[in-house]
Amino acid sequence: MVLNPNSMKPIYVQISEWLETEILNDNLKADDKIYSQYQLADLLNINPATAAKGLNLLADYQIVYKKRGLGMFVTSEAKSIILEKRKSENLKHLIEDVVKEADYLNVSREELIRLLDEVRKGE
Amino acid sequence: MKAIQCENLTKRYKKFAAVDDVTFTIEENTITGLIGRNGAGKTTLLKTIMGYFKPSSGSVRVFEENPFNSLKVSANAIYVDDYMTLPQDVPLSNILDFAKSFYTNWNHELALKLFQYHEFHSDEQVQSLSKGRKMTFQTIIGIAARCPLTIFDEPTTGMDYAVRQEFYRTILKDYIAHPRTIIISTHLFNELEDFLENILLMDNGKVQLHSSIDQLQSYTIGITGSSSKLTQLIEKREVIYKREISSEQQYVVINNDLTTAELQYINQEGLATSSVASADLTMYLTTSKKGGIDDVFNRS
Repeated sequence: MVLNPNSMKPIYVQISEWLETEILNDNLKADDKIYSQYQLADLLNINPATAAKGLNLLADYQIVYKKRGLGMFVTSEAKSIILEKRKSENLKHLIEDVVKEADYLNVSREELIRLLDEVRKGE
Repeated sequence: MKAIQCENLTKRYKKFAAVDDVTFTIEENTITGLIGRNGAGKTTLLKTIMGYFKPSSGSVRVFEENPFNSLKVSANAIYVDDYMTLPQDVPLSNILDFAKSFYTNWNHELALKLFQYHEFHSDEQVQSLSKGRKMTFQTIIGIAARCPLTIFDEPTTGMDYAVRQEFYRTILKDYIAHPRTIIISTHLFNELEDFLENILLMDNGKVQLHSSIDQLQSYTIGITGSSSKLTQLIEKREVIYKREISSEQQYVVINNDLTTAELQYINQEGLATSSVASADLTMYLTTSKKGGIDDVFNRS
């Protein structure tokens, strides 16, 4: 994982989103142990307190749970929680940006949908 | 436990207050970056914490002790700066041996490994080292000493980019394995930012800001757009920084606590928001109010 220092997103948010993606991609499965704050700090060359903040964010969303003295583990609902969260937050924001740009460029609704279909087919 | 507690601490040189009535607390086992312009009072503050200077008024406590004339503090703290007094004509390896006998937590294995990694030779002497090499050697002492309070005052002076990155990583790795209270004063805040937990920003002898790095990053927001539309937005707000991009375009930095109405206005009017780099923000917060360098050249 590479951190983006120019991103609007603070580093701890970038960390939690990276771990979410790892869960979505099944690189981390339910009840798998995830990195500790110290492993993350070493891996990403950042302060352990920042890493801890990223992990706590996941715990707040109940994507991971803590086992005292053992570390943090992926919950069984993790994937559905992440999907729901990303749809309602990220995807909506992205679409807002697209619509804004389309309005600037006087792109009609039909044209926009056609573009969307085109991109989807191209996959 | 608190590692450092300062209360209304002031240090005057004759009438000039280099450190002016500062109050703050540094928690044990954190890494703090001490940031400020030249002459802001950083070194005076650090030397008062180390017990080299006696406060003019107010108090400083290090591990619950007054550091001035305290054996406990000297034995548990190390201060690394440009002027660290080392014997000039003694082999470097002898200096490491001497440091080993002085610091109780000293890790000789680590010292020797770093010594070899940085390709020092045991018969080299301090007087023959370049500025950057001397700093590198001193930071080895600072890290291997593993003092509960470790202070680096401008440790990267003279170091090239690669050595600086290695120095930051060395500190981080040893801190993860052996947590301790570390303070680093630096002018290269952008390089060091990710390694820090907290920032202490000084300006004219005062503490301008003391916060976690994460808070600092979301503390402000930059907005770019047409001057007339921006003016309406920032009318009732405190502007931290303002720059003219062109005659009609402006960039402003304000607190990141926009209301929904304000956000809507920004969206509708096509203003662009951006995050503010922490290093830039610290500069804006400590820039003199006499305008910018451009004003020196603007003869009107």
